[in-house]
Amino acid sequence: MSKKRILQAAAPAVALTLILSACGGNNNNGSASPSAGSSSPASSSPAASPSASAPAKEVTFTIGYATGDPATKQAISQTIEAFKQAHPNIKIKDYSETTSASYLDWLKTKDAVGEFPDLVEMRDTKVFADSGKIVELPSELVGLFSNVPEVDGKKYNAPLTLNAPQGIIYSKKAYEKAGVTELPKTYDEFLAIQEKLKTSGITPIVVGGKDIFHMGFWLNKFLIDEVYASDPDWNSKRTAKQVSFTDANVVQAMTDYKELFTNYVDKGWLSTADNQTASILVSGKAAQLFSGPWMFTQIQQADPSFEFGYYALPDREGNVSIVGLPSPAGWSLSADASKDPDKVAAITEFIKFFFAKEQYSKYLQTVNGIPSTAENITYESTEQMKDVLAIMADPNVKKSLMINNWWGDNQIPPQFRNWYYKLMQDLVVKNGDVAEYMKKADEEYDTEVKANAQQ
Amino acid sequence: MNDTKNQSAWSRWTGRISPTVVFLLPAIALYTLFVVTPTFSSAYLSFTSWDGVSDKIHFIGFDNFTEIWNSDRVHNALKNTMILTFALVVLENIAAIALAVLVDQVRWARNLFRSVFYFPVLISGIVMGFVWTIILNYNFGVINRMLELIGLASWKIDWLGNPDFALISIILSTLWKQAGYYMIIYLAGLQGIPQDLTEAASIDGAGKWQQFRRITFPLLAGSMTVSSVLSMISSLKIFDQIAVMTDGGPGFETETLTYIVYKVGFGELRQGFGTAMAMVLFLLILIITVIQVKVLRRREVQL
Repeated sequence: MSKKRILQAAAPAVALTLILSACGGNNNNGSASPSAGSSSPASSSPAASPSASAPAKEVTFTIGYATGDPATKQAISQTIEAFKQAHPNIKIKDYSETTSASYLDWLKTKDAVGEFPDLVEMRDTKVFADSGKIVELPSELVGLFSNVPEVDGKKYNAPLTLNAPQGIIYSKKAYEKAGVTELPKTYDEFLAIQEKLKTSGITPIVVGGKDIFHMGFWLNKFLIDEVYASDPDWNSKRTAKQVSFTDANVVQAMTDYKELFTNYVDKGWLSTADNQTASILVSGKAAQLFSGPWMFTQIQQADPSFEFGYYALPDREGNVSIVGLPSPAGWSLSADASKDPDKVAAITEFIKFFFAKEQYSKYLQTVNGIPSTAENITYESTEQMKDVLAIMADPNVKKSLMINNWWGDNQIPPQFRNWYYKLMQDLVVKNGDVAEYMKKADEEYDTEVKANAQQ
Repeated sequence: MNDTKNQSAWSRWTGRISPTVVFLLPAIALYTLFVVTPTFSSAYLSFTSWDGVSDKIHFIGFDNFTEIWNSDRVHNALKNTMILTFALVVLENIAAIALAVLVDQVRWARNLFRSVFYFPVLISGIVMGFVWTIILNYNFGVINRMLELIGLASWKIDWLGNPDFALISIILSTLWKQAGYYMIIYLAGLQGIPQDLTEAASIDGAGKWQQFRRITFPLLAGSMTVSSVLSMISSLKIFDQIAVMTDGGPGFETETLTYIVYKVGFGELRQGFGTAMAMVLFLLILIITVIQVKVLRRREVQL
């Protein structure tokens, strides 16, 4: 009896000890040692050479970035870990989390609860610059990059990579089975391939429509072909009401989008997340995916033996236009953090570390990125990535941007992008009339321009 | 001399304050700080075009309310809120009464059944949303996989992506989560029904259905008032499931008033407009609750 009582009393105590010791273990492993002089694995890290300008005392800063793409998430968190090992006196608190919300929603919510990150991956630079949440990039960092686009004459961003083009990532086996021997030279040839794939019994295209940013790949493909390739200033003209969403070129773009999605896209596209698309492709449930080179790693990890190719999708005349111009996005320093010189020094050190040749090439290899640095960075690229780089280098390929990535006078109301993508989902699921939906887009655009003007 | 005068005035003043007021003061202060002040500032913000980020706040009169009145998107969200609320209040109460009666009559493992049906209530809306999103996924979800396995692949449905099924899927998964909560309220109500009434009815030859229809159900009216009001308020405020399972989609199909308040306020940087909608939602809940309580109170029977 007494033995039982002792056991009963001891059990919670043992459990508590285990929990506490587990916490202790985490603390030891997870956070950097406060003593800069203590032995740490830093010396084993290739990029581990704390610069002389790094603050010697213990500094903590917070960081936030978009986690929608698993490869990018993995690459950034690996860089953070490497940095923490190399700089034991600098602690980084990672605020990033996987959510179903868009990145802008997430960042805005973080701001509302007083957790705006000290170092933040900025995509809507103008919104946060206008509201005084971020400050200009320290001048010593600007020189690291080949080109830093400006917002109202100021440089706010350390671009993680240059904008990479979306293209068709296709299963070679599925193409072979459907009798596709040649890649399409026009959009009509591409549609003919879709018909062949469908007849062969495979779903032609998988789309991660649950994630709003993935919707953007397709919508912008058509908008670039029909609108931005010939008129890069279309957005500013729309703001000035000189052009309309109901114009023939926009209606044509969205009609092409609607027809493609109605006929050739996987039925479950609206509940498929971007990070499920690689599995659907490699499992043979779908033959193609329209996305960027950051997907290559995911696809290879999902099935190393999966054979796939990549090509840029031409328009009806056979011209190729892709996303590829620089845009104001990348790491930005928060206004709050800029008031603390120690934090600024630590963040500057992190950015230098992030873009240092050895570390940055690893990052680029994981995300299959195109370097944004002034220094030439090379890394071992895959066959598909070589195709991407060849497309980027081709002078006949027009470079453009997505609807929301233009800046200056061509900046659209920041809230318009998500609304418009959702409207386009609605267009397909309700089999709506494109011209009618474009009227709604015009109305919303004007309402948002008016609302923003009242700020 | 002056000090003594002041002291006596102070003690006279404090003497008049009832200890109740003194004990209430901390609560009043906190309530004012965290509820009353935000409520009044929200009322003000609903007349502004504030984006939620900048320091500048501009007064724009009734513009936000005019836009709410004219917006198709808000009308759709209102319609969805009404459908969800009506369906959930009815279904949750029917399911809860059925579960309560069954659990009350079961002879063995009574506590096990109570726990099993109550268990989903303990899961947060977010977790429940993720679980059901996985179950209902078009390509990898259990339901569609089962349809494939039994040779009914053509019956596969994009449960959360098809506008005809998205709202129904949210209603059924919320029903699964919430019914257990109201079951407990009805169980408590059932315990309060005197056995002699049912025994007397039984002797008089009333069947099980008649006993339920004529005795149990009328005497559960008090529980029903509570359950209906709680269920209605929680349905009007439904948010987690929508956020996780559909993000208001496909398109704007499953947006509700609470969700649109969040989307507009945070995602679309229109805090002023979002706050105006929150005020409308507040009034709506107030009006419906008052009507519902008045109607249901009439049904209650005093034992």
